[in-house]
Amino acid sequence: MASPAVSQVATLVGKEVRTLFTSPIAYAVIAVFVVLSGYTFTVSLIVAKQATLVHIFFQSAVQLILLVPLITMRQFAEERRSGTLQLLLTAPLREIDIVAAKFIACMVVLLAMTSLTLVYAAVLAAYGDPDWGPIYSGYLGLVMLGAALVAIGLMISALTANQIVAAVVSLGLFGILWSIDTLASLLPQPFENWLLGLSLLAHLTPFAVGAMYLSDVGFFVTVILLGLFLTVRALARR
Amino acid sequence: MAVLSLDRLSKRFGARLAVDAVSFEVQERQVFGLLGPNGSGKSTILRLVTGYLYPSAGTARVAGIDVVRSARAARERIGYVPEDSPLYGHMRVVEYLSFMGRLRGITGSALDRAIDAAVERLALGSVRRTIIERLSRGYRQRVSLAQAVLHRPELLVLDEPSNGLDPRQIIELRGLLRHLAQDCAVLVTSHILAEIERTADQVAILLDGRLLTVEPIAHETVAAPAPSPLEALFLELTRAKAMQ
Repeated sequence: MASPAVSQVATLVGKEVRTLFTSPIAYAVIAVFVVLSGYTFTVSLIVAKQATLVHIFFQSAVQLILLVPLITMRQFAEERRSGTLQLLLTAPLREIDIVAAKFIACMVVLLAMTSLTLVYAAVLAAYGDPDWGPIYSGYLGLVMLGAALVAIGLMISALTANQIVAAVVSLGLFGILWSIDTLASLLPQPFENWLLGLSLLAHLTPFAVGAMYLSDVGFFVTVILLGLFLTVRALARR
Repeated sequence: MAVLSLDRLSKRFGARLAVDAVSFEVQERQVFGLLGPNGSGKSTILRLVTGYLYPSAGTARVAGIDVVRSARAARERIGYVPEDSPLYGHMRVVEYLSFMGRLRGITGSALDRAIDAAVERLALGSVRRTIIERLSRGYRQRVSLAQAVLHRPELLVLDEPSNGLDPRQIIELRGLLRHLAQDCAVLVTSHILAEIERTADQVAILLDGRLLTVEPIAHETVAAPAPSPLEALFLELTRAKAMQ
């Protein structure tokens, strides 16, 4: 039998997932993601005639940067604006339970979204002989990138009562973290390496091409844990 | 033992002292009113008691349990209706009560019984399966109260519960508060003197975060007082509309 805390988190996850899927946002986000990645897959298959998903992984990463803020923006901002955050924070729950539930619910949408692209891998398997290593690692990288974006997005949502502000700030921060390697190349050492170390693109690229390094896994895990920790702190600051 | 006891409770927001060393006690089955003008610290005190805010100094204890040091145990003993009764509007009434009950650790048949009891107490039977955002303001207030009493709390905390209600709903709320106070202590805020006078057993008056006085209010019966002549006339003339 589940402990009361696990049962309460499960209740909250269920509510969050239902809320996400009863609003049109989740469906719109998933539809846009699938249509755009399907277009890229078709074009790369017909034009380049390559049995690979590398293009899909890079494009999906950019799409996540654009779409994750739409999933995370309302998680705390809307609860704060409507006053329901008071109900959650005065229930016999810890802040970490609430943050964990929101994170899991967002990841359910994200996994549903990315799992729909598995059909492209199935097409490659049916009509070609793809190298499965980069496909496995690419999906792992995509999920870790998505989880990191969700954690940061939740943190920003916890700092404001306006979901549009949360979305715009998240989008801006994601954009900077994605392309910071461009800025890094203009700087002298060791600043270049420091900024490169923060680049989402630099840490995703090895996954997408089939190389997995512990340092990249550690980077994403660190960003996820730091984002969730700061979200808890943002909620506890009252 | 007092159900709620505040000992020099203070809350500071930056340079502003919103609650300044407030101390009082609320006894079992007592309706305790907090009165004061806007900005006097009423809502802040309720938020400190429920654990939504953390005090800058002093303590608040519910049934002897410190609301900061043993937050979970204290919160299990509190039912809270924040100002403007926030709800998840897309949920049905019974779905919302089930969600709030599970958050409070009630499950299985105990949850079903708790929902049935709350629905009956708050007369929500006719709207049990209605989506909350389609309900009138009065019914939404009842749904908020239902979630707050679901777990049979020892202390019910209500922030301006009569805000936005029409006269009929205010009169009904008055009766409900007296009814709910038969099982638990009630801490309620209002800036309407007449409402507190009619429902509370004891009243504290606040100004600029400071407690000015605590005074008892005598009632002839434990039930809500009879409506005034004007209220009776209003109820009579609007009965047909209320029955719709």
